[in-house]
Amino acid sequence: MKLWHSFSKELILSSKSWYFYIELVMAIILLLILLFVVPEDFDSKGKEYIYLDLPQVVQERYAKNLLEEDLDEITEQAEVKAGGSVFKARLYETEESKIYLLDSLDALMAISKSESVPAVHVRANEDNQVIHTYYLQGYETVKLKNLLMVYHNRLAAHDVIEEYAENIPIRSLYQGEEAFNDRENLIPVFLTFNGSLMSLFIIAAYIFLDKSEGIIKAYAVTASSVWHYLLSKIGVITLTSIVTSFIITVPVMGLQPNYAALVLFLVTSGFFVASLGLLLTSYYKDIVESFGAMYIVILIMVMPNISYFTPSWSPDWVKIIPSYVMLQSFKEIISVNGNMSYVLVASLAFAVLGLDIFVLANHRFKKTLSL
Amino acid sequence: MKKMIKVENLYHSYNNDDNYAVNDVSFEIRKGEIFGFLGPSGAGKSTTQNILVGLLQLQRGEVEVAGYDIKHIKNKMFNKIGMSFEQSNVYGKMTGLENLEFYRKLFDVETREPMELIRMVGLDGKENIKAGEYSKGMKHRLTFARSMINNPEIWFLDEPTTGLDPAIAANIKDIIRQENEKGVTVFLTTHNMHIADELCDRVAFIVDGKIRLIDSPKKLKLEYGEKLVDVEYFREGELVKDSFSTVAGGGKDRLVDVIRNHEIQTMHTKEATLEEIFISVTGRGLV
Repeated sequence: MKLWHSFSKELILSSKSWYFYIELVMAIILLLILLFVVPEDFDSKGKEYIYLDLPQVVQERYAKNLLEEDLDEITEQAEVKAGGSVFKARLYETEESKIYLLDSLDALMAISKSESVPAVHVRANEDNQVIHTYYLQGYETVKLKNLLMVYHNRLAAHDVIEEYAENIPIRSLYQGEEAFNDRENLIPVFLTFNGSLMSLFIIAAYIFLDKSEGIIKAYAVTASSVWHYLLSKIGVITLTSIVTSFIITVPVMGLQPNYAALVLFLVTSGFFVASLGLLLTSYYKDIVESFGAMYIVILIMVMPNISYFTPSWSPDWVKIIPSYVMLQSFKEIISVNGNMSYVLVASLAFAVLGLDIFVLANHRFKKTLSL
Repeated sequence: MKKMIKVENLYHSYNNDDNYAVNDVSFEIRKGEIFGFLGPSGAGKSTTQNILVGLLQLQRGEVEVAGYDIKHIKNKMFNKIGMSFEQSNVYGKMTGLENLEFYRKLFDVETREPMELIRMVGLDGKENIKAGEYSKGMKHRLTFARSMINNPEIWFLDEPTTGLDPAIAANIKDIIRQENEKGVTVFLTTHNMHIADELCDRVAFIVDGKIRLIDSPKKLKLEYGEKLVDVEYFREGELVKDSFSTVAGGGKDRLVDVIRNHEIQTMHTKEATLEEIFISVTGRGLV
């Protein structure tokens, strides 16, 4: 009953605090970013600007070849802005790139200078050999330069290159799973950082506010336990985290995620992170003193993001960082046929770890009540 | 008579070394007594009090409060304890009334009506204002009121009149007397000798973590105070000030002589104050 009174009091207090509304507003901002800024699929196609300084017949042949690779086999008329001028171009969109055929060398040079993109001048020399002149920007790697040279001399080593290319093993990291679009792919990241890890900072903010007001001391001399006070804080933060996570997830994912698993995982992972936050705050007098420790924790927690966006980089040590497990769990939860066993095991692990840390934090708080 | 607080050989070191903030402190407080714990800042008053209410862990010694061993604190013990802190610590985002309503739910015993307490400390009419908007003195009174919510048997008061204007301080002292008359035991921590002198049945002087003396203010004054009479009188047309001891050195005869032969302007008996006794006993001031 006392726990309930503490929880309802914390709920009232948090509804009167800025942190609560900051969390809600942040969730809405993240949702708006997902809906209106992040496209379903990022346009990752490279752009190529080419000026064909070749006889008309060769130009037509070149254009015909491009048209065969074009996705809709229609030449589009495009305008390219560069250095305050507008240049006309023919646009061919293949599976890998967008190719702009420009009308003049001036247009090519202007685009190369103002847009800082590589451009290619194709001409024929006196011996009717086709010469490709690349206007690179200086940031291109040696590998790319070598690749261009190999490409233009591919006939010389045709067999070797073909054999090498055929023997490159390609395997999918996500076999049996339907890949997310780019918008959906960001949901686990937002849930991990806004839903779970944010709990660490919010609970620290609440606790340090109470410490500065001496509230914990006043609570400690009542017939209620300190753990009631701590758990009621975690309860409010977890509730907020569930609300904000739903704000982000429902409009983007609809009914696809397993929402029961989502709530379970938010509760357990939030409990773990909030307990960690409690333990950290028990060592410091105010939020300024705790910044160093908080910074280290968040740096470690950010590391698995690299692995998430670059799946080929997943060393074992990254996999034991809690945020890695969170990212993977949220991913399973929002997938069509997500691995719920993984989520349940992760939830259990976070619950057990969270409980251990909570007991430790409670012990620390009791020891440092007069600080 | 029943002992409400029993402290034996209490030691406490913040760094767990031999530099003790509280050094071999022992005392007992009887039921219904107002016990003043007096000393300058850093003397060990708050450390001792924090150990008694469980805010600091007991390191060494035996402490019993309301029949509970402090080594194994039970939540039930706090049903019998009230604590008014020197620094007011109330929820600034809740009203005065909401603060008391919330705290009363944290006890297992019958609690007092929050409005009754609010009226007692003179905050009626302000009960629905957020405590964060209260003045320092109002917050202090709310903290004081909160400490009575559970009808405590032992009432710990840390500088209960600090920062209050004289009229409100007088009201607070009256409340302390009234509660004490009902049988509440009071543990008063202060460096204000006047309030201790007015309220306490017994006082303990603590300096550098050690108790130097425990006795009633009256006995201390009798034992340590020099009984003097300050007189202003006219001698050969000039106003003269003089002090006469009533116990030693022929002071009485000289005083009688002045009264008989000179015109008296003012005459006051003078007792030693607790502060003077404190300085005399400990060799230290109270600041």
